[in-house]
Amino acid sequence: MSAERRSHPVYVAPIPRFWWVRTAPFRRFVIRELTSVFVGLFSVVLLLFLLALSRGEQAYRGFLDWLDQPGIVVLQVITLAAVLYHTATSIQLASQIQEVRLGGRTVPRHLLMAAMTGGLIVASAVVAYLTIEL
Amino acid sequence: MPDGTVVLKVARYRPDRDAVPTFSEYEIPYRDDMVVLDALNAIKDDVDGSLTYRWSCRMGVCGSCGMMVNGEPRLTCAVFLREFRPKPVVVEPLRYFPVIRDLVVDISAFLEKLKEVKPWIVREEEQSVSEGEYLQTPEQVEAYKQFSMCINCMLCYAACPVFGLDDDFIGPAAIALAHRYNLDSRDQGRDERRAILGVHWGAWDCTFVGECSVACPKHVDPAVAIQRTKLDIATTSLKSVLWPFGGRK
Repeated sequence: MSAERRSHPVYVAPIPRFWWVRTAPFRRFVIRELTSVFVGLFSVVLLLFLLALSRGEQAYRGFLDWLDQPGIVVLQVITLAAVLYHTATSIQLASQIQEVRLGGRTVPRHLLMAAMTGGLIVASAVVAYLTIEL
Repeated sequence: MPDGTVVLKVARYRPDRDAVPTFSEYEIPYRDDMVVLDALNAIKDDVDGSLTYRWSCRMGVCGSCGMMVNGEPRLTCAVFLREFRPKPVVVEPLRYFPVIRDLVVDISAFLEKLKEVKPWIVREEEQSVSEGEYLQTPEQVEAYKQFSMCINCMLCYAACPVFGLDDDFIGPAAIALAHRYNLDSRDQGRDERRAILGVHWGAWDCTFVGECSVACPKHVDPAVAIQRTKLDIATTSLKSVLWPFGGRK
């Protein structure tokens, strides 16, 4: 209800700017939200990779040299850690939300998490195989 | 017989004399079986009759006595003092709500939101009495039972930082209750509620912090209800675009 419609005075506590550092669950939430930036960064690098690939061998090699710079390598390692954290928490959250029923029974959450993790590992292995072998 | 004493630090806000809330400290006789609400009643009865707060059933059913106890939203009738003693117990009004007096918050906006989501069985056409009751199988009851346990205590709102930052947010309890009716086999109001919840201050305002479900004393899991509502809105909207004739209802 807006303050104008109230017939009595009220006290509205201000929200501290750093409300999200107050408790561990809030901090975990904000860390997960921040890892989205790295997921975005990862996607940009992947697009630049494809762009370099489409421009021929010289551009591709130039891009690989750029990736080999120490600063970029450090950034890639941080990105990998952030993306893995984001993926693991996504699986946790998705298994909490999604209700899957098989044969009239709800599939337990830990089985859903195992299925999603297994699917991710298989997909990653296929991509790794195609990248290395082809 | 009392087993010593306990100290309570209680937030006081008297709008006629305080610009901001202050804390009053009370030391009262303690028994091991006392809950926070018992202590507030002891203060009101024996120390300061002006202390103002809401309570009714004393058994976790009415949802009136929700307050912040040592920083966490709790039903004061269900929190034993021994959980905190010998440290002082800090009692404040529910966070993020406008405070009217002491521990009493203004819940009128919440009641408006609750009404908005149509938390009742909506029928396109009412079955006549001669046709009998709307029957349900145990499985059909089970589908919504968890989400029907809400007692409107608003602890989930006090746990939700999104509601703190945007008081227009319809919020966890109201969306969970809408979800409860959407899951009810007797209900036909899903489309109406989808339009109400599909706005940016509805289900989409939620960022899935998940603390509403942690705070819920009835294990309703409003966080999951909200995410499933998002899923329902998104898939229905996608179907209406991709499938001929607006998709399957």
